Amino acid sequence: MSTVEAHVPGVFYRRPSPDAAPFIEAGSVVEAGQTIALIEIMKTFNEVKADKSCRVSKILLDDGDEVDVGQTMFEVDEP
Amino acid sequence: MNELIVRSGGLSTTVQDTGRDGQYAIGMPPSGAMDQYSFAVANALVGNPPGAAALEATYLGPELEFTDPRSVAVTGADCDVAINGEPAPTWAALRVSAGDVLSFGQVRGGARPYVAVGGGIDVPLYLGSRSTYLLTGIGGFHGRALAGGDRLPLGEPVGEAPVAGTEVPGELRAEFPDVTELRFVAGLCAYRLTERALASFVEVEWKVTKDADRVGYRLRGGSLEFVEREQPFGAGRDQANVVDLGYPVGSVQVPGGDEPIVLLNDAVTGGGYATIGTVISVDRDRMAQARTGGRVRFAPVDVETAVAARRERRVRLDKARAAVSAEQR
Amino acid sequence: MSASEVRLPPARYEHGGDEFVFVELDQEMSLEANLKAMAITGALRREDIDGIIDICPSNASYLIRLDPDRLHPADLVDHLRALEHSAGQLPDDHAVRTRIVDVPVLFDDPWTRETLLKFRDRHQDPSATDLEYAARINGFTDVRALIDAITSAPFLVTMLGFVPGLPFCYQMVPRERQIEVPKYVRPRTDTPERAFGYGGAFAVVYPVRGAGGYQLFGIAPAPVFDLAQRLPDFADDIAFPRPSDVLRYRAVDRDEYDRTRTEVESGQFRYRTREVEFLPAELLADPDAVNTRLLEVLYR
Repeated sequence: MSTVEAHVPGVFYRRPSPDAAPFIEAGSVVEAGQTIALIEIMKTFNEVKADKSCRVSKILLDDGDEVDVGQTMFEVDEP
Repeated sequence: MNELIVRSGGLSTTVQDTGRDGQYAIGMPPSGAMDQYSFAVANALVGNPPGAAALEATYLGPELEFTDPRSVAVTGADCDVAINGEPAPTWAALRVSAGDVLSFGQVRGGARPYVAVGGGIDVPLYLGSRSTYLLTGIGGFHGRALAGGDRLPLGEPVGEAPVAGTEVPGELRAEFPDVTELRFVAGLCAYRLTERALASFVEVEWKVTKDADRVGYRLRGGSLEFVEREQPFGAGRDQANVVDLGYPVGSVQVPGGDEPIVLLNDAVTGGGYATIGTVISVDRDRMAQARTGGRVRFAPVDVETAVAARRERRVRLDKARAAVSAEQR
Repeated sequence: MSASEVRLPPARYEHGGDEFVFVELDQEMSLEANLKAMAITGALRREDIDGIIDICPSNASYLIRLDPDRLHPADLVDHLRALEHSAGQLPDDHAVRTRIVDVPVLFDDPWTRETLLKFRDRHQDPSATDLEYAARINGFTDVRALIDAITSAPFLVTMLGFVPGLPFCYQMVPRERQIEVPKYVRPRTDTPERAFGYGGAFAVVYPVRGAGGYQLFGIAPAPVFDLAQRLPDFADDIAFPRPSDVLRYRAVDRDEYDRTRTEVESGQFRYRTREVEFLPAELLADPDAVNTRLLEVLYR
């Protein structure tokens, strides 16, 4: 198991817009480079991308949660 | 042509120097490095004159490729730095060759790393400064934050740089306390707040919100009430409004009564919100390293203390300069 | 020489940290307060004191940015207090030398109308336009009468700021004839470049596109701000208006608007500008006479 940590602080979002479906759900298999969350900081939304292909086993934050640099957002398994 | 190739710009990396003076009266803020101390030490570490332009990164630093041998130094926020993937020290003089790549890990403490390169970032002067002012898109590199593919012009190094490996002693580096204390001269339109509100402003521990950038820091944590009054002519109806006036850099306003905003280097120069005091110039350095989610406190001081704090910073800066140049001999 | 003492409360001197001194001449807006701010800051500018970085006259106050390493802020305050007594008295023969400028405005234009209609949910009166609303709350019979009031007397540039090049303009008429409107309930996220707006007792021309909270009345064909300094009027400075300028907003039709735009685009446009002098004491005593004379000079 490994983790995905935030590189910037801000507000965490699981979906591209309030009405949209989440980027991923627990259990989703994602490709390297795929967007899995957004972090809002300084009036911009920054995409969080998977750095490798993996299966997301656990999502630790909810829409609107504050997140700090280095905080774990996802737990992932290698496929 | 000596250039620095930007492979990735990081979150928001801009060219900054000591700032742009003499334009405040037309409504243009000074811009410039937010943490002037870390900026100045970075320049000292590469042998640059004090005002040479450097890069200010925010949270996530850029990835930079060098095209010739250069001195380089990273100061400011505490973060992992690597050259060609190999860890390299911060607050230290580094030497790179053509093809070397400087990259950043995430910040551990603070918010803004500074990167100085021997010879300085040689973008054109605009109204006397190389600082970027993002709002109107002037100065710096085409008036914007760096992006992958940019090629930054570098100046010719003047004088000798400290030898590679020279380090700034720990006590002369920036600090990142859990709660950042900001010394604050109360005044301006502080009469608009009740005494209880003014007292609570300095008692409350404020949290830095996601809207904290070079323009200003919006804070959360308490609420402040205004003295009820019949609004004077021209001031507007809201109790937070005054007849539009000039805002000092570092001044604090409370538009809605509950979220104070500290105006910083790229702020609006004036407007119609009551200001209640000003963070002293030296402590804007500390504020620059306070990050979203972090906590700050205001400590009331008088103007004499503010002036003395400037002297202390200059002494500290001289010490840092002496410490890095001494090892050359 | 008789000094017609301007009746203002005692000025308040405040330290904006170590790098700024803020001086509030009055809490309310008046021609008197602004003329005094201009007189004091004008005298200060002529003294060319080492350590002063920026001198910013504002509507009813002024702000000085200084380098505390060269000039102690407390010494500056002492000096400003002295200046208040020497330069701030405005004797009867004190004259303001400035320029009067013709500033064309297309009122009720399609661009600001489109913008303001987009933001009706942030406005006091969602069912009216900004002009209709402003005319009603200021007691004018219709929009035409409001526009007549705006264009009949010139405005003094009382402050530059907020964003680079934005002139705050206060009409040179007595208090009872001042037009006053609130700002939007919540600020707009968009305003066209060169929009002519009104907020509180101030008229502005927005230098650049962006957020804004002033009521939108029209659009100026000529810029007040030119980063590239392409037009001849901007050869010395990126901002055209200067504090103490007298601006006459003149209503133009769509044809003249389009012609002026073409001149701006081709780099030919120049503001109609005349050097003028007026006595603040006279302006305060008989504004209509002074304004009539100023407009005669402008269109002579």
